[in-house]
Amino acid sequence: MISYKVLIPDVQELVDQSMPRERSSHRQVPEGYVYTQYHPMEEIYQWMTQIQKSNSELVTQHYLGKTIENRTMYYLQISQPSDKTKKIIWMDCGIHAREWISPAFCQWFVKEILQNYKSDPKISRFLQNLDLYVLPVLNIDGYIYSWEKDRLWRKNRSPHMNGTCYGTDLNRNFNSSWGSIGVSYNCSSEIFCGSGPESEPETRAVAQFIERKKSDILCYLTIHSYGQYILTPYGSTTKPPSNSEELMHVAEEAAAALMGKYGTSYKVGSTSLILYSNSGSSRDWAHMIGIPFSYTFELRDKGTHGFVLPPDQIQPTCEETTLAVTTIIDYVDQKYFPAGAVMLTSSSLGLSLCLIVVLTWTIS
Amino acid sequence: MLEAVPWARLAYLRPACVVPQPAPAVRAPAAARKHLPLSPSLPLATAYSVSESSGHKYYLQFTTEDYKTGENAGSCLATVLYSKTKSSPVVNIKCVHTKDQKQIQEEDNRLYQKLRHQTKPIIGNNIPDSYGNIEPALEPAWALAVAGSSYIMWEKSTENLGYFMAQVKSVKQWIRKDDFIEFDYTVLLHEIPTQEIISCHMRLTWLPGHPLKVKYFCASENQGLEDGSGVESGSAAGILYERGANF
Repeated sequence: MISYKVLIPDVQELVDQSMPRERSSHRQVPEGYVYTQYHPMEEIYQWMTQIQKSNSELVTQHYLGKTIENRTMYYLQISQPSDKTKKIIWMDCGIHAREWISPAFCQWFVKEILQNYKSDPKISRFLQNLDLYVLPVLNIDGYIYSWEKDRLWRKNRSPHMNGTCYGTDLNRNFNSSWGSIGVSYNCSSEIFCGSGPESEPETRAVAQFIERKKSDILCYLTIHSYGQYILTPYGSTTKPPSNSEELMHVAEEAAAALMGKYGTSYKVGSTSLILYSNSGSSRDWAHMIGIPFSYTFELRDKGTHGFVLPPDQIQPTCEETTLAVTTIIDYVDQKYFPAGAVMLTSSSLGLSLCLIVVLTWTIS
Repeated sequence: MLEAVPWARLAYLRPACVVPQPAPAVRAPAAARKHLPLSPSLPLATAYSVSESSGHKYYLQFTTEDYKTGENAGSCLATVLYSKTKSSPVVNIKCVHTKDQKQIQEEDNRLYQKLRHQTKPIIGNNIPDSYGNIEPALEPAWALAVAGSSYIMWEKSTENLGYFMAQVKSVKQWIRKDDFIEFDYTVLLHEIPTQEIISCHMRLTWLPGHPLKVKYFCASENQGLEDGSGVESGSAAGILYERGANF
């Protein structure tokens, strides 16, 4: 008989305690999809497929590119069928892996639009003129890594230094004064800007697409957490953008709309003035290539929970943020497609000419 | 209550005007912690700064609110002078609290009772967990971690670096024969603007009416060659936050 002693009665318990719990999978149909919980990437992929299937008249899923670990990046296009050419509103979420509330918001927002586009006059109005392009998770590899290995991971998962160091900060990797301020050239840093502007496939996928479509993109929104800010360009310089006043005005309106819901207060301003300086951000880049309205949102909270925002805050955060985003879209819509302008379609043109003839005839 | 180190969250504050530096706003509210109850509060501030020959002097006015409930907890006026010569800033602060001494003491005592009278020592990991949930049984330990971390953040923050407590990685209670409560923590601090996650080991002892005693050691990330010395990371106390990259 070999003598023995139990040192740890339940090793499984210790293992379970140190890893995220197994989660029950949800039915992947929009009706059964739980928007008030965080979802792993696999479920978000399934959600995208389902959303397109159940809303095929409005939603199409498109290939954007591949991540460094060869995963596919998709965006959703919400487009009301029409013979008009539309302008574009772009929104991306999850550029930083640990900011889980951000992809949660993109999913929520899509759901809100699809549920209300027929009944909500604001939404139906802007969908006549604008297409919404939503990228629910930009940094897919990083997001998965934050689920499986390291909850507070930020960067992507590109290998450096012979695989001894991983990750570029995608929001320092865009070609906007790249590498000039608020970055590190060291891979081990959380703000490592990469080996060059757009060195990362994820950055390139987004940048190439937006560059191609830039003449039609009126608004670029990128969603982060935390801090409760609506940030305007630039981070790389304190010199204000050309349309700084208008950018601020619209952002302030958005923050006011947001606050109206639950009293949550957001600060509004230029990144370099109210936050800190940084170069290579997607928001700066979008504005620099000519997209007039470019904003970074930093969602709840202000540090109490930070990146690990409790799920009971998903709904209120998403609701209030939806109000802010629709305020911005609304403004853009009204600005570029003003109401009261007579839309001369061939039929109304014919009618106008007819009336003019009749009137002329009556007067003479 | 003035003696016991109460907690004031070191908000990443951006003053409304002039040189917007977050960190000094961070240190001044931490000084407020001497005047506020242990139940954590959150400063919201306006500030301006003046460059003097002696250094940068910041004038802050801020309100604080309860960390959990958000209700107003008081307001403070402070000056923080970052001198070119001295390493730590000179802080002057004066606060007015919404709650009276008695209320503050009662709340501290409630927290203390929850922590003291356990059938077995409190042990836990990942608070909040990945999904943001905090088990009700672990909430008092979390609150205490917030208080203790504020001390660490107070010491570490500078004119250019600020912190938030991101997560409690582990907590272990040591039962003592006397009335003091004692806890070992590993806390993760989020550093701004570097975005780094700093792992700190913290040993905390407390008895209401006494100052919160905090001993800590923070592992430094990305140290490269200097790390080898062992002076900093010799013991088990240096629980390095594991970066997946290297494993």
